[in-house]
Amino acid sequence: MIRFVPLAALVCALIAPLVLKSDSTFAIVTFGFLLASLAVSFNLIFGFTGQLSFFHAASFGVAAYVTAILVGDYRWNFWLAIVPALAVVGLLAILAGTICFRFKLREFYFAVVTMAFSEMIRLLVVNWNSVTNGTLGMTVTAQPTLWLPSGSVAVSSARLWYYVALALLVVTYVICQRVLASWIGRCLAAIRLNEQLGETLGVNVVLYKLLSFVIGSVLAGLIGCFYGFYTGFIEPQYLSITQSLDIIAMVLLGGVNSLFGPVIGGLVLTALPHVIDLSAELRIILYGAILIFVILVMPRGIFGFFSRPRHVV
Amino acid sequence: MIQLIIGQLLNGAIVGALYGIVALGITLTFGITGIVNFALGAFMMLGAYFTWYGYEQTGLPYPLAVVVAVLLVGALGFAVDRGLFRFTRNNLVNGLLVSIGLISIIEASVLLTWTSTPKDLTYVLPGSLRMGAILLPKMKLAVFAVLLAVIGSTYLALTRTWIGRAAFAYAQNPEAAALMGVKTDRLQTIVTVYSTALAGLGGALYASLYSLEPTIGAYYVLKAVESAILAGIGNTIGALVGGLIIGVSEGIGSVFLPTAFRDAYGMLFLVLILLFKPSGLLGSK
Repeated sequence: MIRFVPLAALVCALIAPLVLKSDSTFAIVTFGFLLASLAVSFNLIFGFTGQLSFFHAASFGVAAYVTAILVGDYRWNFWLAIVPALAVVGLLAILAGTICFRFKLREFYFAVVTMAFSEMIRLLVVNWNSVTNGTLGMTVTAQPTLWLPSGSVAVSSARLWYYVALALLVVTYVICQRVLASWIGRCLAAIRLNEQLGETLGVNVVLYKLLSFVIGSVLAGLIGCFYGFYTGFIEPQYLSITQSLDIIAMVLLGGVNSLFGPVIGGLVLTALPHVIDLSAELRIILYGAILIFVILVMPRGIFGFFSRPRHVV
Repeated sequence: MIQLIIGQLLNGAIVGALYGIVALGITLTFGITGIVNFALGAFMMLGAYFTWYGYEQTGLPYPLAVVVAVLLVGALGFAVDRGLFRFTRNNLVNGLLVSIGLISIIEASVLLTWTSTPKDLTYVLPGSLRMGAILLPKMKLAVFAVLLAVIGSTYLALTRTWIGRAAFAYAQNPEAAALMGVKTDRLQTIVTVYSTALAGLGGALYASLYSLEPTIGAYYVLKAVESAILAGIGNTIGALVGGLIIGVSEGIGSVFLPTAFRDAYGMLFLVLILLFKPSGLLGSK
């Protein structure tokens, strides 16, 4: 039964715009989709490979900055700008990942070093005023165009963004699913369950950790490219540790052991503060309380809580 | 120029000793409970705010305000340990995330109660000592002395008392220590509470020198983790040494290097240490 939940959810998401009317609901769900995609891509590294990375916000933010600068300052086409953005993110991930995995950094040390790399990139963005406009951030006015059979349209309406975000979520989800269903997924599981044993059985631990790290980071970059254009605003906060922590919280809330869990986590954590009307401070308190509650009471997350425990390969 | 460098040296040493006292808590908690308690920064910030409240709002004398703040933070530490951290022993990721949840709650509560406007204490101990051409503010010297004394006596307590040696034994071999009559659960609680109280004391002393903002905790705990790793995690005196190295190099560095990247140098140094000497500068291998 649980296998059909993602498909049923997709069908619901596709027909939902027929029922939904208000722009603010569209905005919340669109944000939910974007952040859920981020959580899904993060779970490839965290849940399925067992590496607690703090690099995700950096990948996300760097790609957002590169696309915005190329489109805004150099008048590139949005879709063309995605390519160099992802290339930059990929190179950064390969660099950071190779250093961490070659030197066999594990658990806490891996977390600290990725956090340090992420902070260094953030400081660079904050202080490179001439290009990034420093702490003030940049406004993004351009809009990506879509080529439909009826002609090209600028993605500007709430409804169109809803579908673009949904498509991104589906793309991220399917890529992660294909990766996990292939031999790569089995190597990642071996690394997660017992790294030493995997190595003795011939799994190239460094290579597969790096593969998962780079795929996850590039997917985060892809979402970053769109995110800046959706919000119309980019700031160094996108690369902060807090952003990474938000992603981790979504994954944990939804459930670490599944692909679909982070989708639920992302949607719930994005929508919750808007459903319950609270001041900013109370919202953060609620957020912390939920995080602690989930870890101590339902360590398998919402999705894990409702699905049967099964043997994950 | 000399005055500037001496001034930065003293500032760096004090800030470094503050990093050190939080780092000591980080190291102790990690050695005994197997988690990295990032919430120590938030407890430090609470200690600072409690001191400010006691001294400025209630009119307690400063030393009494410090004692009350440390006791309050320690009591909170006890509650948090019994209620939350007891369930995350030796589970690094869960402990990390629980402490992060705790940080959000504490920071937001402080924002809610005392707003984000920076708070300052009126001079506790004005005046300064003159040594030739160099001026040394009395309060800074006093704070530095107290920090050194506390870290030093913690070291003595760890090596000379029964509970201290029990902690060392436990860090080396938990099962053997338990067989020798070390009450594991109680030891872990004592260490967690002591670490929070240390962080609270750090905050209480911080309050007498610098402005309070709810974000100081997050900043100081990152530096403290850097200090603890720099010296080799699990090393008591190393925590102080690591803190002093980072604090002094930041102070002196700000005279000669662009300040925009001040925090990045520390990060870079940390990465290099972890890559090439993961047991830390003072580590054995």
